[in-house]
Amino acid sequence: MRTSTRRSHRLMALAAVAALTTGVLAGCSSDSDGTSSNASDSGKGKTTLTVGTFGVFGYKQAGLYDAYMKLHPNITIKEDVTTRTDVYWPKVLTRLQAGAGTDDIQAIEVGNITEAVQTQADKFVDLGKDVDKSQWLPWKNAQATTKDGKQIGLGTDTGPMAICYRKDLFKKAGLPTDRTQLANLWKGDWAKYADVGKDYMKKAPKGTKFVDSASSVYNAAIGGESQRYYDKDGNVIWDKSTGVKAAWNAAMTVATSNMSAKLKQFDPTWDQGFANASFATVACPAWMMGYIQEKAGDSGKGNWDVAAAPTAANWGGSFLGVPTASKHQAEAVALAKWLTAPEQQEKVFAKQASFPSTPAAYPNLKPAAATTAYFSNAPITQIFSDSAKTIPVQTFGIKDQPIGTAITDVGILQVEQKGKTPAQGWSAATKEIKDVLGQ
Amino acid sequence: MSSSKQALAHPAPGSGAAPGDKPGAARGAGGRGTPAPGPSSWRSRLYRWDMKAAPYAFISPFFIIFGAFGLIPLLYTGWYSLHNVQLSSLDHKSWAGLDNYRNLLSSDFFWNALKNTFTIGLISTVPQLLMAIGIAHLLNYRLRGSTVWRVVMLTPYATSVAAATLVFTLLYSWDGGMVNWLLGFVGVDPVNWRESTWGSQFAVSSIVIWRWTGYNALIYLAAMQAIPGDLYESAAIDGANRWQQFRHVTIPQLRPTILFTVVISTIGATQLFGEPLLFGGVSGSKGGSEHQYQTLGLYMYDQGWIIGNLGKASAIAWSMFLILLIVAAINLLFTRRLRKSQ
Amino acid sequence: MTTSELTAPQDAVPVREVRAPRRRVMGAGKQMHAGPLTYVVLVVFALVSLAPLVWTAIAASRNNQRLAETPPPLWFGANLFKNLQTAWDQAGMGTAMFNSTIVAGSITIGTVLFSTLAGFAFAKLKFRFSSTLLLLTIGTMMIPPQLAVVPLYLWMADLHWSNHLQTVILPTLVSAFGTFFMRQYLVQALPTELIEAARVDGASSLRVVWHVVFPAARPAMAVLGLLTFVMAWNDFLWPIIALNQQNPTVQVALNSLGTGYIPDQSVIMAGALLGTLPLLIAFLLFGKQIVGGIMQGAVKG
Repeated sequence: MRTSTRRSHRLMALAAVAALTTGVLAGCSSDSDGTSSNASDSGKGKTTLTVGTFGVFGYKQAGLYDAYMKLHPNITIKEDVTTRTDVYWPKVLTRLQAGAGTDDIQAIEVGNITEAVQTQADKFVDLGKDVDKSQWLPWKNAQATTKDGKQIGLGTDTGPMAICYRKDLFKKAGLPTDRTQLANLWKGDWAKYADVGKDYMKKAPKGTKFVDSASSVYNAAIGGESQRYYDKDGNVIWDKSTGVKAAWNAAMTVATSNMSAKLKQFDPTWDQGFANASFATVACPAWMMGYIQEKAGDSGKGNWDVAAAPTAANWGGSFLGVPTASKHQAEAVALAKWLTAPEQQEKVFAKQASFPSTPAAYPNLKPAAATTAYFSNAPITQIFSDSAKTIPVQTFGIKDQPIGTAITDVGILQVEQKGKTPAQGWSAATKEIKDVLGQ
Repeated sequence: MSSSKQALAHPAPGSGAAPGDKPGAARGAGGRGTPAPGPSSWRSRLYRWDMKAAPYAFISPFFIIFGAFGLIPLLYTGWYSLHNVQLSSLDHKSWAGLDNYRNLLSSDFFWNALKNTFTIGLISTVPQLLMAIGIAHLLNYRLRGSTVWRVVMLTPYATSVAAATLVFTLLYSWDGGMVNWLLGFVGVDPVNWRESTWGSQFAVSSIVIWRWTGYNALIYLAAMQAIPGDLYESAAIDGANRWQQFRHVTIPQLRPTILFTVVISTIGATQLFGEPLLFGGVSGSKGGSEHQYQTLGLYMYDQGWIIGNLGKASAIAWSMFLILLIVAAINLLFTRRLRKSQ
Repeated sequence: MTTSELTAPQDAVPVREVRAPRRRVMGAGKQMHAGPLTYVVLVVFALVSLAPLVWTAIAASRNNQRLAETPPPLWFGANLFKNLQTAWDQAGMGTAMFNSTIVAGSITIGTVLFSTLAGFAFAKLKFRFSSTLLLLTIGTMMIPPQLAVVPLYLWMADLHWSNHLQTVILPTLVSAFGTFFMRQYLVQALPTELIEAARVDGASSLRVVWHVVFPAARPAMAVLGLLTFVMAWNDFLWPIIALNQQNPTVQVALNSLGTGYIPDQSVIMAGALLGTLPLLIAFLLFGKQIVGGIMQGAVKG
């Protein structure tokens, strides 16, 4: 007993010293591979480029990094992923402003691009000079361009919108199941889509609703409006915006007429909703098709179909920027250009249905055979590229994202789940947005 | 230095009751804190210096390291709270004086968060600490596989947040969740756990209790290990049953540790944000559509991290500090008054 | 919390002073054997405590599609090892585990060591401003640390430490929580006479710490070590800000799992399981140390 105690004390002390030293040493010795930018060169003239993302790009899965490294044997690519988006962007903002620790390429989500353009433009390389801008959709370029014409990001994917629906449920509810016929039913107005929902609910199959949530209808509708929360001069006009009004009204019809499954998107219960076929339609950007396929599973195969959405709208998509803090700007710009070129965007589409922002790729798009079969052989690429090409140029502002959340997760949710009136929901959202804007 | 070794050996000889008196006797001879007359004045000077400097040497690592890496950022936060500053424009801040604080005082969201913090803190902390002390008491019995039991109690604290999120979202989901399914057996209508005020606060508290009870139990257990066995023995001789022993021996002996857990839990409850955030799922930082379970910590997280109003968020952070100071001051007054009246 | 209670506890329980040394004879504070009811209560608690972890393993043994179905799986599937393998490879767990061991190990040793020293000073030594400094220590916990990560990163960047492990070790190497914890424990558990007896014989402060304080503090040190290790191992907000995937800790590495537009929940759960396993090992190591009556051996030797 006594010796063992003493020995363990001595051991503890030894371990303490050892661990503290190794800790500090390991910290210091990782100089070579710790910092991305100066890092890199392991002596043999090799350059390591780090690509900072929040995980959804699929470049690795589509084999793009490997292909690039084969083309450029002196380049090594490492992806620096932070999947939590509520941490990724604050992290990037902090690092950009510290002027240290940024990756050589930094992905920017569409919800953050305006903030980046308006507050971080001096921290990014102007990519507009190095590329043929006409390769991209004009509205995509516009999102990443400052007032004085500096383009801080190259477009990766986009989220053109369609309606994914369950043919089998539509049939039981006595509605048409043909995608062109349906598209014509609701063409031009999300309110018409909600009207179809009312028809659906008259003879809805037991345990099913028309749509997953009112918020998803709102998001889809606002995604096609040119006037959103800000005007061109950066003033907040959300309460006067025609786009917001239209999208809000459509969402209110859904929320107040018992056609919504009242789920919250990307919650585990939403996944269950797909698996249990508890709703018949969902506004689906191209990237959501894989999600549906995975969550709805085998039972949904051939029962899902895709129709054009009421309006051409965009939901999601990203950009690649090169921070000026990168020590390998030239190499990073070259890689960003290559990753966003039409040929590469085609490959990513084939892998995970991320829809390209470069129209040159559209004629050659080949969705995965399994996806086409799952969605009843719908002409997926046709539907989405039609939508992508007709999306209007939208005006964005710095606080778009939190304003949108205030409307969907406060205003709409109160009406949908707590039985508040639309007027009450609107005033709750108004109060919330004032808080967001610090008014 | 054999002499000191002997001194240390005094209180713990293998047998007999006598040694118990010895330290006291030694104190009588030597006096409190007075060094024994050393062989040389150099040594005694060194000794005196050691006596004076040692306390500062012992606390200095904390203050030096905290000063370098903890204090500076916190002071920065305080500085931000006096400015209009966005997370995206740290260099373009403008002086705001106490505006951020004034805005908070007139903000319904702030008072709502304060109220929620208080109620959730109350319904999570009190049962948590009571259960923890009970569990610690049970763990303090002679148990088969005692290490395993201890390990098990701490697993909630170690379980990954991602996993816990999934589990609790499924448990408390409105439609088809396990809790509502069980309630259905006793004829209770499904509760919308996320959106109802009491339901959501109860659910959040249940996650807090699940996560932290074992944690506090271990803290109590450590303190129970230091309670002399003979206290129980003499209590037993006096005819005290288990409950009376617990009440009259364990609890009084745990007083400093209970104070510790109360202070820590109060601070923890004030800053609570992890559990409601995970309970809320997507955009959980709102704490429900009517902010029905948005705590101060969550409001701060939402403002600073999601919305990017760093100045306002910093003001929330520092007002939590001020609130805790007020709580401490009230507590102090209260106990003083209580002492006087006794 | 009151100042008087914090600062003048030595005289609070006079009975103890006479009796305390006898405990060495009696051994640990363990009292009676547990009855069957005790086991029943503990089993219930254990089930509730373990359920989410067990379900993590179940989820890790399934596939993504099955996890979306209702009712959720309640028993193990066949994919456990496949998913563990995928998670290990995708997240680069080898480096991450190594880094986390260094980070959590250093933080644990630093916290336990420095907290015991400071806690002892606050509990048993008399020095100027001791109560003010103690209140200050507790006060530092009252400001939530989440926002401080932004200025902390700026500060670390100035030191050119961005992405280095010391950025996550140093800020948590000491702990106000631990100092306060040790102080409250030692006030009660360490008889003042023991220290005085050592003093009488001319023992230096370090010697007192080594031969008196550490043995008396052992159960608390073990608990503090356990809690600190878990905290450091699972801490993610600051490590994710401060590190990148080239030099990650486990929590940072786990954040690279589930990429693509369809995050694979079963692989994410497998990663979570991998990240938790080392903790269970640490538990077993530390858990045994939470034993009273250790002084018996230490003091004799």
